[in-house]
Amino acid sequence: MFIRPFGYERAGSLADACEMLRERGEAAKVIAGGQSLLPMVNLGLVQPEVIIDISHAGRDDDGAAARGGGAVPGGAVPGGGRSGSDRAVAARSREIGGGDGYLTIGALVSHARLAGDPAVASAQPLLAAAAARIGNPRVRSRGTLGGSLAHSDPAAELPLAMVALGASYRVTDGRSARDVRAEEFHLSFLTSALAEDELVVSATVPALGPGWGWSFQEVARREGDFALAAVAVLVRMAGGIVAEARVAVGGAADRPLRLADVEAALAGASPGEIAGRAGPLRGLSPVSDISASAGHRAHLCAVLVRRALDEACRRSQEATA
Amino acid sequence: MTSAAPGAPGRPGGIRTSKLDELRVVHQALPRHDQAEKIAGTTRYAGDLAFAHMLHARLVRSPVPSARVTRRDSTAAAAVPGVVCVLFGEDVPHNTIWVDVPGQTVEVAALKASMEVLATDRVRFHGEPVALVVAESEEALTAACELVEVEYEELPGVFDPDEALADGAPAVHERGNLIGEWRIDRGDADAAFAAADVIVEGSYRTQFVDHAYLEPEAGVGWMDDEGVLNLRVATQVVEHYRDVARILGVPESRVRVIAPYVGGGFGGKEDMTVEPYLALAVLRTGRPVRMQWTRQESLLARPKRHPMRLRYRTAARRDGTILAHSIDITADSGAYAYLSALVLLYSSVHACGPYRVDNVRLRARCAYTNNPPTSAFRGFGGMQVVFGYEAQMDQVAARLGLSPAEIRKKNALARGDTLPVGQVIETEVLLKDCIDAVLDRAGAKPAPSGPRKAVGRGMAANIQSYGRLVWLNDSAAAWVGLQLDGSLTVRCGVPDIGGGQASSLAQIASEVLGVPMDRVTVHFGDSALTPLAGTTTATRQLLMSGNAVYEASVQLRDAVLGAVARETGQPAGGLAMRADGAGGTVIAGPGLRLTLPEAVLICRRRNVPAEALGTFFGPKGQPVARDLRADRVFPDFTFGAHLCDLEVDIDTGHVQVVRYIAAHDVGRAINPCRSPGRSAAPRCRGSGWRSWRRSWSRTGSTWPRGSSST
Amino acid sequence: MTHTATITLTVNGQRLTRTAGAHLTLLRWLRDLAGVTDPKYGCGEGVCGACAVLLDGEPVSACLVLAAQVDGAEVTTAAGLSGPGGIPGPLQEAFHACHAAQCGFCTPGMLVTAAALLADGRIRSRAEIRAGLHGNLCRCTGYGPIVDAVEAAQEARQARPDPRDHLGRAPAGHDAPRPRPAAGPERGR
Ligand code: FES
Ligand code: FES
Repeated sequence: MFIRPFGYERAGSLADACEMLRERGEAAKVIAGGQSLLPMVNLGLVQPEVIIDISHAGRDDDGAAARGGGAVPGGAVPGGGRSGSDRAVAARSREIGGGDGYLTIGALVSHARLAGDPAVASAQPLLAAAAARIGNPRVRSRGTLGGSLAHSDPAAELPLAMVALGASYRVTDGRSARDVRAEEFHLSFLTSALAEDELVVSATVPALGPGWGWSFQEVARREGDFALAAVAVLVRMAGGIVAEARVAVGGAADRPLRLADVEAALAGASPGEIAGRAGPLRGLSPVSDISASAGHRAHLCAVLVRRALDEACRRSQEATA
Repeated sequence: MTSAAPGAPGRPGGIRTSKLDELRVVHQALPRHDQAEKIAGTTRYAGDLAFAHMLHARLVRSPVPSARVTRRDSTAAAAVPGVVCVLFGEDVPHNTIWVDVPGQTVEVAALKASMEVLATDRVRFHGEPVALVVAESEEALTAACELVEVEYEELPGVFDPDEALADGAPAVHERGNLIGEWRIDRGDADAAFAAADVIVEGSYRTQFVDHAYLEPEAGVGWMDDEGVLNLRVATQVVEHYRDVARILGVPESRVRVIAPYVGGGFGGKEDMTVEPYLALAVLRTGRPVRMQWTRQESLLARPKRHPMRLRYRTAARRDGTILAHSIDITADSGAYAYLSALVLLYSSVHACGPYRVDNVRLRARCAYTNNPPTSAFRGFGGMQVVFGYEAQMDQVAARLGLSPAEIRKKNALARGDTLPVGQVIETEVLLKDCIDAVLDRAGAKPAPSGPRKAVGRGMAANIQSYGRLVWLNDSAAAWVGLQLDGSLTVRCGVPDIGGGQASSLAQIASEVLGVPMDRVTVHFGDSALTPLAGTTTATRQLLMSGNAVYEASVQLRDAVLGAVARETGQPAGGLAMRADGAGGTVIAGPGLRLTLPEAVLICRRRNVPAEALGTFFGPKGQPVARDLRADRVFPDFTFGAHLCDLEVDIDTGHVQVVRYIAAHDVGRAINPCRSPGRSAAPRCRGSGWRSWRRSWSRTGSTWPRGSSST
Repeated sequence: MTHTATITLTVNGQRLTRTAGAHLTLLRWLRDLAGVTDPKYGCGEGVCGACAVLLDGEPVSACLVLAAQVDGAEVTTAAGLSGPGGIPGPLQEAFHACHAAQCGFCTPGMLVTAAALLADGRIRSRAEIRAGLHGNLCRCTGYGPIVDAVEAAQEARQARPDPRDHLGRAPAGHDAPRPRPAAGPERGR
């Protein structure tokens, strides 16, 4: 409504956008889908001098995506480093690609596309489920993966799913690219590891391996609201016991958290033991705010983890049956 | 939903209701006449009208809840290119909005409360308007508003009504923080408590609620060629033109308020919002001006529903009979009086619910705080107390092992009972029917959908007055006129706030005059060109305007039939005016069949005006005093019952409404608008035009009864 | 960098070009520059849905899109769901029949969101319809009649396939005018 005029600059590629960011400094803001930035601009909370539009970056480009590496669960990320031409980078930012047990999703892919893409649904259904829970249809039409990751809201669905999946983000400053693990990318409330002139290009997650089950659970006051607590869980059962588990919670702290202690405690648990082993969630000290107290959040997280483990175990057993 | 039998003729009270099958247009579920254009997207709401080269206006509001204003400087703001003027309180001809509530309050006189249009030396809530900026563009406005320099010296504030009434509390206003107080002392409460088998106590708190209509406050103002200031604004009350005139110091005849279709009101557009500011901007600049409040402004600064603290003590006999209530109410009025004293009066009168209670002691007070002001909100104080009295009923029932329905039906008011305030219920009370209707429709409580789920069922009943307080001398006028082609024009000052108000008037006129609905045009909500019909508030419009249109239509019909009778020599009593089934209207009698245009010509020839003005006056009564005791406070009351089944996730606390059923005695619904085959899925029935209660009356002087619930 | 932008949009089939500040949202562009007022301002935060329009067929909050970002796009508002001569589209007919508009302020946004929901022709359950309309607030109806209307529209389409698409457009060479729903009296002003 009442917003201060700002300049508009359309970037043809992500490298262009990075260059513009260096030129304009703090006065510039990047827009892709605009679903996080424009509410703040409309409310006067952010008053940019210029908005750099990356939503068209690489749009007319039909070049092949630079298929970089992917993340190895819990391990180092291969294939980092330089990643080809501007064209290729930009193209990669618009694509969903897969192969070799990995799925790479471009930063400019909308939530709606992520939620509805058959390749995502089969390769990594947790991600599709998380995207489908975001906001409302309008947010999903416009909002982008990169925007959500860079915004780094601790209650947002996609950063949580990425942390659970051990994702790696390709980020670029236009001159070189680097890969950052999701857990090291989301630092705090609305704070990421992106430098002033860096942008997210894509995120790579491992495809759901054989025998894995998954679950995504959240509680919000109203559907579509940011979650009071959200949980993403992956479990692989073998021989009737938990062989591996990934447990991550969102909305509870200043960033999405992997609960390594809980994961370790779950190893070797039979289905009957799971709830007890997950227990009160160790390694979690939630925050209090107007929406929920820390105690309530801790309780919700524990409940959701139990439910998610149940569902993920069931799916794992179905997958192996 | 449908429940009890439709109002039968011969219902006690000598009130004439038509047989349902006689009605052609009224009581039919017709698509509302405003719907087509709303669905086509062509309705022009207050914020949708634009003038070429119009200006824009915006308020600078206080960022603190309580402060002395020590300095105001508009120099920098005025220097922004595109800014036309920056106004402070000193620039307002009469910088006062009067809240002149008749009736007794603390001062044992009319409440002479007021507030400044633009605060000059003191602000009392976060969001209080301090300056008005007018500019060529929204961009200039944005820049300039940030540059208006206002210095505040913060003062201690008080944010809780009980604290505000305690000794030594910071004074929000110089005359103290108590705005209004009402008391009821009926029967012998002490004796009743002494004789009670059970006594139940409860303390309840309600919160601020925003009306949150989808359409934020907006309007456009312009000066017309006759020098009349026109304001086309989202409002429930076109009569605010008088307040605007008083602020501007111009004759009332020089201000015109037009209410277009409003995007929801619910009481929040009953007090003035953009009106005085638009008026000032237009007066100052002579140019058309638009003002659009943001949602954030609306949430921050426009009056809310009163938070109340309700303390109940209830005495009952073993058989469930309620013997006595002792009630204490404290309401948060926020920083300015608005309609607080009256809202609290409604709370007081409704505080015992739809039940017979012979011994009552009540004290209700409302206090200034530095919170946002509070004022009218659907139910006007009648809603908050439902929480108190119904929770008490449930507690008493639980203590005595009675079902919620049993205890309610046992104590239900009946025709002839006297309310604690002294008013006798003169019309039928269909409360038991409503309770039975919801129970019947609900059937058994559903089973939980999973192991860690629980289902709860709650029921509540209420009493709600309708029509304005009887000493406000309420009236409504409407004009109907036949065109030469037999089409009909209705003029009525009613604002249509989404309740189908204008459409219902068309139905009434159509019913009486036999003019098909698509040949009726309603002009509404214009303080200069439509007869004044009063506020669209207090659930009064259908009662008042409906009856005014009815009166006018009957006059017109009788005049036309009289003229035709004289022309043809037929007795007027043998003539009827009705739709001809082919899109027109006929005047028919034994061996006679005239088209309406022919009849209108006859009127012309015989000097009979083919038009009529009808005015309907509400019932009259004396103002109440602080100690409430009155034969009549409201024209009448209506009753309802709701039932809700909801499921709780025991582990997360997540609540899911499984079923919500409501039954209201709406009298004869003008437009029942039932959609057959609807499931009883959760539905917010408590709001919306279907609860626009009561029908118009065929006799025009009493309140028709009938029972159909929608 | 530019501070003004010349934008061309095809709004309900009509090409419109306007030059204005590059900071304008699509909502302001439509309302203030193009005079297209059926998308409403309700919150400016993307939460109410009053401003919803279809952007190249996708539902978006017009308050959260910069006009400069979508130069060349096709925009459909509620008015665009009507056929030639203002003949109501199938969804509009269902809203009418189900009394789904009271104050009507949410209606344009509801209509386009529902149109997008039904676009693929798949039959939605009541729960799916409700989920699809999440984010479109209505303060008057309690939502029941709106869900009824969307349900009725898809049932009607199933029972009697309509050559028009969900935007009410007839295929080329096929003009299927339909009478207006039982017309009420005209509005005065
Ligand atoms: S105005 Fe855009 S969503 Fe509310
Ligand atoms: S009809 Fe009024 S907000 Fe939906």
